[in-house]
Amino acid sequence: MKNWIQAFSVIDFISVGILLAAVAMTALRRIESCVRAYTLNSWLLSLLIGIVAFMIGETHLYIAAAVTLLSKGIAIPIFLRRIVRQMKITHDVEPYISNALSLTISGILVAVVYASLKEGIFVAGFSKNVLQISIAVILIGLFIMITRRKAIIQVIGLLFMENGLFLAGFSLTFGMPAIIELGILFDMLMGVIILGMFIIQIRRAFASADLDKLTVLKG
Amino acid sequence: MIAILLIPVITAIICFALKNHKLISYMSLIGVIILAVFSVPIITSSVSSPIISLNSILYMDALSGYIMALVILLSLASGGYSIGYIEHELKIGLIDITGVRRYYALFHLFIFTMLLVVVTNNLTVMWIAIEATTIVSALLIGLGFTKRPMAIEAAWKYIILCTVGITFALLGIFITYYASTAVLGTGGALNWTTLKSIASRLNPATMKLAFIFVLLGYGTKAGLAPVHNWLPDAHSEAPSPISALLSGILLNTAFYGIIRFVSIVEPSTGSNFTGNLLILFGLVSMGISSIFILVQENYKRLLAYSSIEHMGIISLGIGIGGVIGIYGALLHILNHAISKSLMFFSSGRIQAHYGSTKIENITGVLSSMPLLGTLTFIGALSLAGTPPFNIFLSEFTILKAGVDKGLWVVVGLFLLFAVIVFYGMLSVFVKMLFGVRNAEYDNQKIVKAHYTGSDIFSYTIMVIMAICIISLGLTVPDFIDGTIRECINVLGVR
Repeated sequence: MKNWIQAFSVIDFISVGILLAAVAMTALRRIESCVRAYTLNSWLLSLLIGIVAFMIGETHLYIAAAVTLLSKGIAIPIFLRRIVRQMKITHDVEPYISNALSLTISGILVAVVYASLKEGIFVAGFSKNVLQISIAVILIGLFIMITRRKAIIQVIGLLFMENGLFLAGFSLTFGMPAIIELGILFDMLMGVIILGMFIIQIRRAFASADLDKLTVLKG
Repeated sequence: MIAILLIPVITAIICFALKNHKLISYMSLIGVIILAVFSVPIITSSVSSPIISLNSILYMDALSGYIMALVILLSLASGGYSIGYIEHELKIGLIDITGVRRYYALFHLFIFTMLLVVVTNNLTVMWIAIEATTIVSALLIGLGFTKRPMAIEAAWKYIILCTVGITFALLGIFITYYASTAVLGTGGALNWTTLKSIASRLNPATMKLAFIFVLLGYGTKAGLAPVHNWLPDAHSEAPSPISALLSGILLNTAFYGIIRFVSIVEPSTGSNFTGNLLILFGLVSMGISSIFILVQENYKRLLAYSSIEHMGIISLGIGIGGVIGIYGALLHILNHAISKSLMFFSSGRIQAHYGSTKIENITGVLSSMPLLGTLTFIGALSLAGTPPFNIFLSEFTILKAGVDKGLWVVVGLFLLFAVIVFYGMLSVFVKMLFGVRNAEYDNQKIVKAHYTGSDIFSYTIMVIMAICIISLGLTVPDFIDGTIRECINVLGVR
């Protein structure tokens, strides 16, 4: 089995899947599909951690994979879906720029990351591509946050950034001590819940959750 | 040390459980007083020698002790001031009893997270604590949300910008861990003490990358320009006691993270790299804030921009470096915390009196409220950097460090921006304090009617702070001087 994983470069495939989920996110029209893209991204992330855990036989990586699956793969998507349902408004993403342009820019981002990290840090692990992919996912997440109008999509962009960050951390450190991973995940979960509360408050106060309305405070 | 972390949590739970607002506020006050009493022996012993506990996750040396003392002093002041402030908010219906319970519970959790930042030895735990401060304080800013839509906007911007920023800091920490695995072989290290001992052997190129990420991340939280955009909104929309905490200590705890990191990065990259970056950030912060101070129409936002300016000065002091530069920066942290929170306290009072935060609506504070006017005037003079007050002393120290190193361009720009800020601050506050009363906004009767015990209590706190401002301007007491020198020792600066 271990040989099989290496022979077919399964880890590369999964990490490319993580990247594709992020790229696809920039072209999706409906909020529900964005949540689904995020769910897929998280599942692939936890699968990747699980496979590496299997290959090097580390118990704490199994725990990390399970916790990632539970929080990012199940709890946060369910929570996001509930918020989407509560919003009861148009479920379109309404980006500031066209989908074609979004896709092009995210492609350029990936290319830039690959070009600039060629001689940067090289991770002596299972795959040379994981670090580049993770940085690319972080940048795409940031790009989504900048160019989308809906508050909830900003949150999803932030979550993509954090998935990328997790992947980067994983490839650079081979898993932090379990307690620290739990702490980071807990922080993230609390952050998402509170952002969700604010989304509902924004909707109540401004009658929509578009961030265009939040322009009173300037200068 | 664990007791210190537990006290605020327990107080928070009790405050949330109680139902009577008087009881809650006294409980909260008792909580901060107990915290202060318990912290004294720990802080004094940490200054003389570092304390390590709980499997070396907790660690305190002079620097942590110094910042912790600051956190506790300001929570004491802010906790006392909150009583009167919240009573007023309750009276005019901006907050209900659930809001009061939530306010005090979050207030103590906020203190807990900030204490956790300073007592931890582990870079990631520090990151977790700093992120937790964002989450808790965002809730405090957006507290009375339904009635103040602007506060939601401020809280939303705050939590989004800070979380994104701090994400980059975590990337920087991961890169540091990666650099340490190259030195230590297996495992790697995240403990500050371990990293410090191997600091000179870390790979300089990797550490440069890590430092840039961490400076960007924690710099967002510390309010350094150009990543400061959340700060004016959050500070101006938060309740005044919380603005004081945000400006006085939250920014400093984030800056504490940067100072710690500088001391890890410097041995391998040399002090020029970190120093130049910090000087650049410092000057940009001072420049941007000085321009915005000139055009400000809202006095709470003005104070927020003044915070950016002072964080820039602190960054400059650390960047210039050397014993004198760091001494000036650490002294400036203390001075800025006291002066700025006094100003936020008094601006909270002014806001309650006039019901407005617009500068143009307020004139003649000195004639309608002589004591408050005098306190505000002392605070404003101090913040502008007028000679007999404390901030002048620390700014002058940083300036001297710059002159000693021959950084004439930096010194010149520093002076230019300081002069602009001096003009901007004083022209606004002189206009607000002197002049004829504005009858439309001046609710003299309402104030006379409830000059209650809690008001006298908050004034006492503010008078004590004003006395601190004046006396720290005349001389730096021996115990503060000794603590700062010990901090410089701990950081390994020669």
